[in-house]
Amino acid sequence: MDRNFKLILLTCMLLAVIGASACIGGEKDETAKGDSFGENSQELVVGISSDVNNWYLDKFADGDARFVWSQVYETLVRLDSNLNITPGLAESWETPDNGTTWLFHLRKNVTFHDGTSFNADSVVFSYSNKSYVRQAVLKPIKSVEALDNYTVKFVLQKPMSLPFYLTHVAWPIMGPGCLDKAGNFVKPIGTGPFKFESQTKDQEIVLIRNDAYWGNKSLLDKVIFKVIPDPSTQVMAFENGELDMIIKVPEYDVKRLEAKKGIQIQRKLSTFTDFLQFNCNKTPFNDTKVRQSVAYAIDTKALVNGVLNDIGKPAGGRPYSPNMMYSDPDLKTYSQDLDKSKALLKEAGWEDSNGDGILEKDGSPLNCTLLVSKGAWAARHTLMAQVVQEDLRKLGIDVEIQVLDEGAISKLEGVENFGMILRTGYFVWGPYPKHFFIHHSKSPYSHYYNETYDQLVDAADSTVDPQKQKELYYALQAFVIKEVPAFYLVHEEKVVATGPSVKGFVITAEDPWLDLSGVYLEKK
Amino acid sequence: MWKYITKRLAMVSVVIAGVTLVSFFAMYLAPGDPAELIALERYGQDLDASQIESVREAEGLDAPVYFQYFIWLDHLLHLDLGRSIITSDDVLEEILLKLPATIELTVAGLLISLLIALPIGILSALQKNTLLNNCCAFFSLIGISIPNFWLGILLIWLFSLTLHIFPSYGYGSLSQLALPALTLGISMSSITARLTRASLMEVMEKEYILAARARGFDEYTVVLRHALKNALLPVVTFAGMQLGYLLGGAVIVETIFSWPGIGKLLVDSIFARDFSMVQGCVLFIAVLFSLSSLAVDILYAVLDPRIRYDMYD
Repeated sequence: MDRNFKLILLTCMLLAVIGASACIGGEKDETAKGDSFGENSQELVVGISSDVNNWYLDKFADGDARFVWSQVYETLVRLDSNLNITPGLAESWETPDNGTTWLFHLRKNVTFHDGTSFNADSVVFSYSNKSYVRQAVLKPIKSVEALDNYTVKFVLQKPMSLPFYLTHVAWPIMGPGCLDKAGNFVKPIGTGPFKFESQTKDQEIVLIRNDAYWGNKSLLDKVIFKVIPDPSTQVMAFENGELDMIIKVPEYDVKRLEAKKGIQIQRKLSTFTDFLQFNCNKTPFNDTKVRQSVAYAIDTKALVNGVLNDIGKPAGGRPYSPNMMYSDPDLKTYSQDLDKSKALLKEAGWEDSNGDGILEKDGSPLNCTLLVSKGAWAARHTLMAQVVQEDLRKLGIDVEIQVLDEGAISKLEGVENFGMILRTGYFVWGPYPKHFFIHHSKSPYSHYYNETYDQLVDAADSTVDPQKQKELYYALQAFVIKEVPAFYLVHEEKVVATGPSVKGFVITAEDPWLDLSGVYLEKK
Repeated sequence: MWKYITKRLAMVSVVIAGVTLVSFFAMYLAPGDPAELIALERYGQDLDASQIESVREAEGLDAPVYFQYFIWLDHLLHLDLGRSIITSDDVLEEILLKLPATIELTVAGLLISLLIALPIGILSALQKNTLLNNCCAFFSLIGISIPNFWLGILLIWLFSLTLHIFPSYGYGSLSQLALPALTLGISMSSITARLTRASLMEVMEKEYILAARARGFDEYTVVLRHALKNALLPVVTFAGMQLGYLLGGAVIVETIFSWPGIGKLLVDSIFARDFSMVQGCVLFIAVLFSLSSLAVDILYAVLDPRIRYDMYD
């Protein structure tokens, strides 16, 4: 080939490579390692998986939005890092008539981010009829009124432990300044340690320190929440120093990150528990003995050790995470006992009459479907489902796993075309009493109908005497262990990773609450 | 030519009408009650049947599906793609907001793919049966075989975690564009390189190349002036088709790199069951794809005088 021609081609290639490099590397990135902050700058960059979909009280703040909300807004009643109930924006509360009327005495000298005072009117505003919490959860509230500047009276239709409900991050106190004169939402105004600065949709939310905060002011100047939905990308960005903190570390990454110099991993039992929800309305799980047999067949310790890399705690059927208030520490849980399991199935009339390894009764084989959601928990739930399938196969139960999206599961659930569903905790944090409603016959998710259970749940929900309440919740836990409307598998552990420069972070057990008080960044 | 363009535009509208029909009804055939999903989004898990019913009524989901379709079409004729049933954002506004990010990624990806593919394709065509040719073939094979999501993660590992050159995610600066564009560019370049090679080899066998050589032109002139122009025609078509496809959203790449484009918007909307947003995105992508393939056909005529659109008239 002609020498000149070769030279031209080579030049061409070189230009291509240079061109590509110029195109892709021409500008120094602001968020690349070390560039987003000056030295000693107190800007914390936190990775979250979903954007804040809503900032106002008329809609539900879902997913990771609540981690951000908990910096901007505060609740009347709080939970400490061990889920004990403590004063928040209310200093104290009382119920003169055993749970139908509640008086909240508010903290003084608290101001909203727009400089207006926090007072009884703002509580009335936050719990007005427009708020979704009134429409969805606190329907029994008849009225909310300001008795004076710092006392609010809630009147309910029936006795309820209202303070338990008011700890939830998703229904906090908002300033009336959130709205303009025409009643349109303008910007989030709360009393929290950080103020809203800006939001770039699906990319980032920037908060700055509230210098007028009533409590201990944050040591950080700014918190930037970066929205990165893909968990692997999030972990890689963290390892690359682009994020200072990730608040949901996947189980399979924990050990690898722990071994890395400078990275700190903090783990704490959360309030979430994975469970197998049975269709108690249809064969074979309409028989308590079959459900109990499943409970004896599944080795929840092996689930935690084998599938979850020792992240989490075996539940053995316990519905409440051990760190929750009213979780019975002496509850007798299940441990694997295949002989007992087989005996229970035999008692229920299931036997392998044709020798194919699958049990039969009245000519029908013992098989069922296990539905697993494609959602946020899919990675670990799919593996857990396989272990469950294997454990039940040993008994002679043929389980078919179906990994479906939420919509498909909801449809199959609606027409009761399923055997089991693998889910994770519903309505669980602190002492919030709603979880047991999932097996209540009024719940849209319930496929369990038992009057005694319903009565126990209703009684626990409408009791305010702590001792009595404790007895009722203990009774409910024992009921679930005995009757097994669902078999509780694993208490989830929350895992937060912080980078080498992050100091002073203490993990809390309450899942959507991110406590950044005391956090600061050391020189990078 | 104008007649041809008019005819093609008419065909495009038929295709789009079909797309509206399929996208609208496909979403309704998908499992799950949209009213329940919207209610879950609005009110959280503490739902009861009356809330689901009130959402159904408020969103017009209680009307027959065909009726809902005609209402949607009516709005569409007024360029109104409706509002997101989850966030209440204007669908068209939301799509146009995401469009620049997608265009940026598409153009950069295409540019990189051409910068890599053309030299490789040309070199391997001219250096048949050599080590260089084998290397090029190997590169193409690897490029075709590696899935985008894996290539993306590999590039993040190399350029972000190991070499600390580029950030691993995000949008806004050229360096953030680097890795997603490289992922797209590399995966597209292997096919383009093979196409360039095959096309150039075919052209080099043509009689007019022999004639050019016989007239005493040097190899450089023969390749650049005579062969390359003709050989690049199928490459232009392919690049054009790729452009249409990419404008529709390089879904996986956008998801891995948290790139806020239309592809990611579409995926997020599908997961959220945001019917109006999904329909809007699909329609928008269909229009872009159809128009870009029309543009490619026109460009083809400009590049190749042998093609006369009059013959279609």
